[in-house]
Amino acid sequence: MTRYLRLLRIFTGATLSAQLEYRANFVGALLASLGEVGVALLGLGIVFGQPGITSVGGWSFREALLVTGFFMLTEGVISVFIQPNMSKIADAIRTGSMDFTLLKPIDAQFGVSTRHLNVLRAPDLLIGLGLIVSAASGLTVTPLGVLGAALLYSSAVVIVYCIWLALSTTAFWFVKTQNVAELFNGVFGAARFPVSAFPLPVRAFLTFVVPVAFITTVPAQALTGELAWSAALASPVVAAALFVGARLFWLRAVGSYTSASS
Amino acid sequence: MAEYRAEVVIWMLSGTLSLVMMLVWMAQAQAAPGGQIRGYDAAGFATYFLSTWLVSQLLVVWVAWELDFEIRQGTLSPQLLRPMDPMWGHYASHVAERLVRLVPMLGLVTVFALLSGARFTTEWWAYPAALGLAALGFTARFLYEYAIGLLAFWTESSNSFQELAWLVYAALGGMFAPLDFYPAWVQGVAVWTPFPYMLGLPAQLLAGKAGPEDALRGALVMLGWLVVFWFLRLAVWRAGLKKYGAVGA
Repeated sequence: MTRYLRLLRIFTGATLSAQLEYRANFVGALLASLGEVGVALLGLGIVFGQPGITSVGGWSFREALLVTGFFMLTEGVISVFIQPNMSKIADAIRTGSMDFTLLKPIDAQFGVSTRHLNVLRAPDLLIGLGLIVSAASGLTVTPLGVLGAALLYSSAVVIVYCIWLALSTTAFWFVKTQNVAELFNGVFGAARFPVSAFPLPVRAFLTFVVPVAFITTVPAQALTGELAWSAALASPVVAAALFVGARLFWLRAVGSYTSASS
Repeated sequence: MAEYRAEVVIWMLSGTLSLVMMLVWMAQAQAAPGGQIRGYDAAGFATYFLSTWLVSQLLVVWVAWELDFEIRQGTLSPQLLRPMDPMWGHYASHVAERLVRLVPMLGLVTVFALLSGARFTTEWWAYPAALGLAALGFTARFLYEYAIGLLAFWTESSNSFQELAWLVYAALGGMFAPLDFYPAWVQGVAVWTPFPYMLGLPAQLLAGKAGPEDALRGALVMLGWLVVFWFLRLAVWRAGLKKYGAVGA
């Protein structure tokens, strides 16, 4: 365990020093972050800008803003921690450098999941947290709600990680996986709105097929104290099931790996 | 391009913003008193947003990513030896992709229309008019994205500028809502840009909410912008080549 923590520190230090070499990139990354939050806020702002509209799917503006905050935060988690690692799995398989990862005396899944970090997109995390705090400041939030939201958001992160890992693991067979990630991004785009803003069949799809609802809507509901117990219990269960599933899938994929040259 | 048929379908499905907005607006209209918002009922929203989805599929441009890659990896150099501007190769491959995209696109639109109750206009002239505007819009977008991609000669952030350009295009084009839903001052700004005429206007034509005179005016505005973007692209290209030669030599 301590060895893994030490490795995390080394990986983080190495990617940090590699990335800070290109300081001009920071400006570009900041522009991209502002663009993301612009899209998220604009979509919400125009809906609430219409005369007579005071709620979306039963959520007031501030409550919906909370969902947008969790959406931005998750965008940040994906672009800082998840995507930089997962996008390299396909490359590593194609070029054969996956061999080195598999030969190392650490768990290979840990190795591919933690090696890289895109600190340039860290503003996304701050923007997301900022949106959540500013939206919550106008709502009645109990300490229990904050605790619940934090716990449920951690299972949300596990869910996102598992979906990305499973999609990226298909690279062991398909070589190219970038498109699949795009597809996930497309569906995940729906998470900028509370799931109840969608028609019923779509809501079911976003809850049970691609569990996007657990990523942004459920933590926001926990924060406002409107969460049903069933959803609160379902989120960690879904996360655990996905984690086991993604782990088994990963092990199977590694088992069938035959290196690039053979 | 036909080699990438499966990927073309995936790329099409990943452009979901207009579909997400469609579902949200449809649910809003159903919940609203009288079943409509600003004259749009649920089917009206479905028609508008499916139309924007369709048009935005025709306007997809990825040349900035390719240029960023080619300039950074140096694969631009052999292309410069050919007696033709590399732009035409990119343009041709974009047009070819559109042809591959057409059949699955129409299939998907039919399915989505049946599911959502969208009704497209029955005026025959609206279809060639929308297609013509989309062609002009695609060319305009291709040219300005090309200019943005060429920024890779100077900066490593050209992809971020591209994302930002996409935001302006999507917002002012009307991907979040029909343009008359926007605050008045945003509409005032938008009419001076090419975006409402390349995305929102063809979509309104398909939805039967714009007339032939709107189409004509839009086409004239787009032609003006085409000239602007043509010279912009040319200027950036010439300046960029000087810079590139200095690095490569």
